[in-house]
Amino acid sequence: MHRYKFVFYRPLQLLPVLFGISVITFILVRMIPGDPARVLLGTRATPTAIARIREQYGLDEPLWRQYFYFLENLAHGEMGKSTLYKIDVLKLVMTRIEPTLMLVLVSVILSILIAVPLSTIAARRQGRIADHAVRIVSTMGIGFPPFWLALMLIIFFSVRLDLFPVSGYGRDPLDKLWHLALPSLTIALSLSAVLTRSLRGAMVQALQSDVATAARARGMPEGIVFWRHVLPNSLVPTINLLAINIGWLIGGTVVVESVFAIPGMGQLLIRAIFSRDYMVVQGVAMVFACATVLINFMADVITVTLDPRIKL
Amino acid sequence: MLKKWMKIGMVTVMTSLSIGASIAEAAGVLTIGRREDSSTFDPIKTAQNIDFWVFANVYDVLIRVDKSGTKLEPGLAESWEVSDDGLTYTFTMRDAKFSDGSAITAEDAAFSLLRIRDDEGSLWSDSYSVIDTAEATDPKTLVIKLKGPSAPFLSTLAMPGASIISKAGMESLGAETYAESPIASGAFTVKEWRRGDRVILEKNPNFWQADRVSLDGVEWISIPDDNTRMLDVQAGQIDAAIFVPFSRVEELQKDENLEVHLDTSTREDHLLINHEHGELGKKEVREALDYAIDKKAVVDTVTFGLGEIANSYIPKGALYHKDDNLERPYDPEKAKQLLADAGVENLTLDYLVNAGNEVDEQIAVLLQQQLQQAGITVNLQKMDPSQTWDMLVDGDYDLSVMYWTNDILDPDQKTTFVLGHDANMNYMTRYKNDEVKALVAEARLEMDPAKREQMYMDIQTMAKDDVHWIDLYYSPYINVSRKNIEGFYQNPLGRFFLEDTVKNEAE
Repeated sequence: MHRYKFVFYRPLQLLPVLFGISVITFILVRMIPGDPARVLLGTRATPTAIARIREQYGLDEPLWRQYFYFLENLAHGEMGKSTLYKIDVLKLVMTRIEPTLMLVLVSVILSILIAVPLSTIAARRQGRIADHAVRIVSTMGIGFPPFWLALMLIIFFSVRLDLFPVSGYGRDPLDKLWHLALPSLTIALSLSAVLTRSLRGAMVQALQSDVATAARARGMPEGIVFWRHVLPNSLVPTINLLAINIGWLIGGTVVVESVFAIPGMGQLLIRAIFSRDYMVVQGVAMVFACATVLINFMADVITVTLDPRIKL
Repeated sequence: MLKKWMKIGMVTVMTSLSIGASIAEAAGVLTIGRREDSSTFDPIKTAQNIDFWVFANVYDVLIRVDKSGTKLEPGLAESWEVSDDGLTYTFTMRDAKFSDGSAITAEDAAFSLLRIRDDEGSLWSDSYSVIDTAEATDPKTLVIKLKGPSAPFLSTLAMPGASIISKAGMESLGAETYAESPIASGAFTVKEWRRGDRVILEKNPNFWQADRVSLDGVEWISIPDDNTRMLDVQAGQIDAAIFVPFSRVEELQKDENLEVHLDTSTREDHLLINHEHGELGKKEVREALDYAIDKKAVVDTVTFGLGEIANSYIPKGALYHKDDNLERPYDPEKAKQLLADAGVENLTLDYLVNAGNEVDEQIAVLLQQQLQQAGITVNLQKMDPSQTWDMLVDGDYDLSVMYWTNDILDPDQKTTFVLGHDANMNYMTRYKNDEVKALVAEARLEMDPAKREQMYMDIQTMAKDDVHWIDLYYSPYINVSRKNIEGFYQNPLGRFFLEDTVKNEAE
């Protein structure tokens, strides 16, 4: 049972990570030239109006004090107030978490649904045409720029065939899935390409492993050998790869959310950066950081469960 | 194995198809795609067009601007009288109700106007500081006393920031709740606001002109990507889209299901010149720049011929525009001559460009080439828009292209900002001409329309003569709607007349 000890102390590591992220985003976002008050008021603002807004949001205070206020708010479970939307950042962020979470979730599931069969086919027919085809397709999948891929999918599936909505995010769960089909396909096409290459390699190795050979020698049919020994053993590196890619995936949602007009965190972040809405940028960065740490933690738990040899 | 996956795939596709078929568009609800979502419904806390354009659907004002964008007409104020000294305005309120059924009284009007003047969060205090007192002498009569006479005062009452809100509602709900789910005084109420996604409006049965409204509702949907927004309307998933890029107009015009609207706007794009920087202080040098710029080429390449060469800071179609204002035709040789006469050699200028703005970047490259022909070297500095503003204010530039759309019908607002020599240094140009300064102040006080018109004609001539900046082009609002939508129109001040828009059965 001591192999799972990390489950208890790992969450503690979240604290220094979050502290680091908060300092870095706090400084970075303020280092970009530009002034939230001016963005808010537009080019027609008078200097007095700008000074008044800066004072209202505490932007005229020294940086260290602004950071102190930020921490103080955080201790009270608050993230400050958005200059653009004039409401609490936490409230704003909460309304935007679900679409992004759903997008990431559906994309990952779709990627696995694509990657597992493809790599199985490729690994079991190693060196043959099917194998080469899968490898070529997955290389192409990595190469396509997501915004271009997204537009092509919209033009083909939504405008030409009228199968899926062009953009937006639905109301009830099924409607949401329907709206997320093309956005998650956009992400899945590149993500599954990465996964397929890794999974195929791991499978090829596992197929030739001593365990598999021994099983075959005991007269176990190839299909059962695959399900019982090859697949579980090749999943471990792929799950870790997936976890590492989550950061990239979250970055990808920023582009995909904008193209498909999904009202998620990515879109919120972009508009916040352009408006120099400091508090919102900080809030979104914190949530993204938490998510990344949490997902890697979950990947570790799964890894330890799948492979009894691994200790963390 | 494969068969199993195929089956699952088929089932997935089938279910999605059936969901697709089951979602029927609500009849009479107009869906409009735009670039961003609203930021608030508190009329005094935003300066963005994106918010203002929805306010006009949700709130009514005391005095409205008509469809042509050049005349005032009664709104919630049925009529008004101005005292001889121009200091006291007496408004008679019409019988009208808020969306919650309560009467809209002079008390609410006074509250709304004092709030935009005094509230700590108001972004418009300066524009309404001319109000001395606003009082409801009875529920139907609003008396406003000004600190001094102001010719543009009535026009400022038509600005969406001065929308009439419910005093009782604001006091019981609080500003934050009101900003989210307001009590409406206009044609529509806010039924639901899905932040970041869409604003859902519903017809306001208590609106005093409810008979005029044909739509059951309106959805303003945020679709930030220009390509996606156009594809949405092409695929018929939304009824209309605004902010159509110049480059897409021709293609959309060919689509027989769509109608492209080129509605006259008050937008003018112009080249700012920093008068305090070296040789740019000399009038001949600024004239040379004007001669060296081929505005026709800018209109043709950047706006695909949809814009029009600008000749004055007061845009065409706006009140007091001077049609026969001085124009400096494209003449690079004359530009060279002017520079030589002024004793200026090897003029090198820093041009500040808004990075990421396709149109701004195109103009920059074009102007760089044109000025090169006149022997002027231009260094392009690409900056993030928020940063360019700071640099413009600090005077850290030689040239930069900006644009302006009018908020109010009266030319005073823009004139004061651009030529009034106030705190913003004549819209960051640092232009100085005391005669112009005096005339701008005088025109603000002149109550005789004919005399006032002449003053603005003179101001336009003088400013153009001084080359306070270089007028580039006027461009229309470009919107697109499906053929079954009637009366989708935007007036020059940006107001959408959705109370007159009709959604017919699609064929």
